Amino acid sequence: MTAAEVRPPADPRAARRAGWRRLKQGPGWIVVVLLFGVLLVFGIAQGRDARTPEERVEELSKQIACPICDGESVFDSRNPTSAAIRNELLAQVENGQSSDAQILAYIEERFGEDVLLVPRAEGIDALVWILPVMALAGGVTGLAIAFRRWQREGGLEATDADRALVDAARARETGFDDEAEGARG
Amino acid sequence: MFAAGLTATSVNGLVGHSALIVGLVTSVFGAIALAYATITGDRKLLRTIPNYAWVAGGTALLATVVMMNALLTYDFGLAYVQQVGSRSTPMLYNIAALWSALEGSILLWLLTLAGYTAYIMKRYRKRLDDPLIAWALVVMFVVTAFFFFIAFGPTDVFANGEPGVTDGPGPNPLLQNHILVMFHPPILYLGYVGFTVPFAFAIAALITGRVGEGWLMETRRWALFAWGFLSIGILLGGWWAYEVLGWSGVWAWDPVENASFLPWLTGTAYIHSVLVQERRGMLRVWNISLLIATFALTILGTFLTRSGIINSVHAFADGTIGPYLLGFFGVIVVVSLSLIAWRGDRLRSPGTIDSPLSREGAFLANNVLFTVFAFVVLLGTVFPLIVEALQDRQIAVGQPFFDRLSMPIGLVLLFLMAVAPVLPWRKASTELLRDRLFVPACLGVVCLAVAVAVGADAWASLLAFGLGGFAAGAALRQLVLATRRQGWRGLVGRANGGMVVHLGIILIAVALAASNGYTRVGEFTMKVGEPVSFEGHTFELLEVEAFETERSQGLKAQVSIDGGQAYAPAITRFTLQGMDIGTPSVRTGLTKDIYLTLEKVTEAGASEAQIKVFIKPMILWMWIGGGLVSLGTILAAFPGKRRRDPRAPVSEPVPVGDARTGDEPEVARV
Repeated sequence: MTAAEVRPPADPRAARRAGWRRLKQGPGWIVVVLLFGVLLVFGIAQGRDARTPEERVEELSKQIACPICDGESVFDSRNPTSAAIRNELLAQVENGQSSDAQILAYIEERFGEDVLLVPRAEGIDALVWILPVMALAGGVTGLAIAFRRWQREGGLEATDADRALVDAARARETGFDDEAEGARG
Repeated sequence: MFAAGLTATSVNGLVGHSALIVGLVTSVFGAIALAYATITGDRKLLRTIPNYAWVAGGTALLATVVMMNALLTYDFGLAYVQQVGSRSTPMLYNIAALWSALEGSILLWLLTLAGYTAYIMKRYRKRLDDPLIAWALVVMFVVTAFFFFIAFGPTDVFANGEPGVTDGPGPNPLLQNHILVMFHPPILYLGYVGFTVPFAFAIAALITGRVGEGWLMETRRWALFAWGFLSIGILLGGWWAYEVLGWSGVWAWDPVENASFLPWLTGTAYIHSVLVQERRGMLRVWNISLLIATFALTILGTFLTRSGIINSVHAFADGTIGPYLLGFFGVIVVVSLSLIAWRGDRLRSPGTIDSPLSREGAFLANNVLFTVFAFVVLLGTVFPLIVEALQDRQIAVGQPFFDRLSMPIGLVLLFLMAVAPVLPWRKASTELLRDRLFVPACLGVVCLAVAVAVGADAWASLLAFGLGGFAAGAALRQLVLATRRQGWRGLVGRANGGMVVHLGIILIAVALAASNGYTRVGEFTMKVGEPVSFEGHTFELLEVEAFETERSQGLKAQVSIDGGQAYAPAITRFTLQGMDIGTPSVRTGLTKDIYLTLEKVTEAGASEAQIKVFIKPMILWMWIGGGLVSLGTILAAFPGKRRRDPRAPVSEPVPVGDARTGDEPEVARV
């Protein structure tokens, strides 16, 4: 756009655009973030607290492995054993005496601990929960350290030795030379 | 052919055996000759090398064709045909029987691998005197030789069967139930095995010491190609599970599924971080490690699922090849790490990343997340083995564990997908972010509002909707800007095609969140003439019908939904295997699927049947997302308008209006 084409500031379109830009820099974001938060809280609040017995059975049966099949949960599996466990769960839930944890403990007692699909956070089993958190913490820390180092180093200045290397490489070959590129590192 | 099937030795077996041994010898000699010719600079020998690749590819093809022929002509002289062949299986599933058990799947792997080797040879045969190409092909030959060996030796694909057998049970009934078994395994293998190519080039870069950006140029598109097929293969697997298995889910975190997902995760990390290396010459060790990890994970995954040490619904349990695969995995890891250590000095890359708030920074964050994700999946998959080894106890790590951990990772990834595409290279200011992210954020709020309006109430699904909208906004913004500037070309090239892929992934993520969180299940004993209401729909049993094919007989219940069309979930008994297989019937819709399974029924003409009804929101969008992922991958594979000269110094300003990044140029040079 040349100077002659620049519209006078009174142009309503330019003014609108400037207003839009101002909106995006401050007030607009406040509204967006507020709306997001309010909607999120409102959405969570509209959730029903009470689970129906069927929903509880569904949740529980997803955490129990079918004892006689390979890798399917009681919820997914269609064999009679799993159906029996589902009925058992429904009976326990409708009885209303036990918490989810108690029901799971009861199932574990009957079928062995390898029917529980969610490892417990105790003993060596806890590692399956701890290690991912440690891996994430390690990754983030490593990244932070790398950025700190990069920031300290700032822009990398070529030393005389580097320049000599590059010159030597250029002299040796005019085309693309990976050797020289590798040596630069 | 038929007569041969009745004699002790099958002609097919003889030809197949010979093909495998010739292929094995050729690959071994190909590797040795090529390595020798490259070291000594023997040009005459070098010119003969392509023949080894043709022969290896040809013998792998021949072995596959012979096996296919044996299956289609019912050559029951072969043990494999006895295992999966049957005269009553329709032709289509007889073809698919090639990959319905361990031996055949090894053959498919071998064919794909030898095919890749031959194709790479064809493409690069004029440049064989370039040590980088030569060493990459040596690696391809070695891997091919290993799989020829596995097929010939431990698996013994063409073993003779018991004499006197004239018919077999056919493939597992679950594998002769749906047309997708034709496509899912070959496409998955194209991706899974395809990562061998970039791996070979990475190793070649280490061997030759040319760890600069030259080798990346050769392999970037191969990695993308493999990634695209792997993505589609995984999705087709989910679709197959949904249509066939009758538990209405697409993904169960089963070890076999995890084995395909692990290389996908590291491969995804790679196709992002490779951009940093191309642009800035950094992250060399990291990128090479990602490629090595991706390939090593394909081997490890195969070991875990094909050696019988992990139980799974669709593992092929067989103890014979386990030790070899584990040994090969060990060799890959040791050789790769030694090479990296040896080339350590050259791998140190120049340059710094100025600010975490930059595209480089976003790619690094992406890499940390994807690596942690891969770690979580691997840990969950092998944890039962670790506990068993240490304490001799059996425990299980199942779907709820993976769901719980992958959900936060997925949400953070969605957030990153929203922010990263608008970030310029080098450095961004918060003003810039506020400016560019405003419209995407508005879209996020709109999506969240929609989610609230339709009744989503769990924080995770609400966030998935909100962040999904935010991320989709960022991707759309990039596409709109690029097309406004360049017309239809604004959809082509890596950055723009990548945004189409992002849109697909976002759809899949949101659809998964919705369908996992808001599936409604009800089980009813439906009686003829008595409609049942559930979740705003009515279901009425019309009748129970019997049906029969040559290999099975079954019952299906005609259930009309909302008084309209009838859907017919069925239970089929496959006579040969004596297995009952339930087949769901699905009414697909834009907002939700209604998924019916027949749980219990007595006989044809019965007046009642037990039917399970799943109401599953948004499933269709998962398949649409899959379509976008494939479309985007194809678009990304086309070269963009102006490409950066790979020989240019890393700090050189990018050509104005660079189509690959779609960056506003004035910011790109900040």
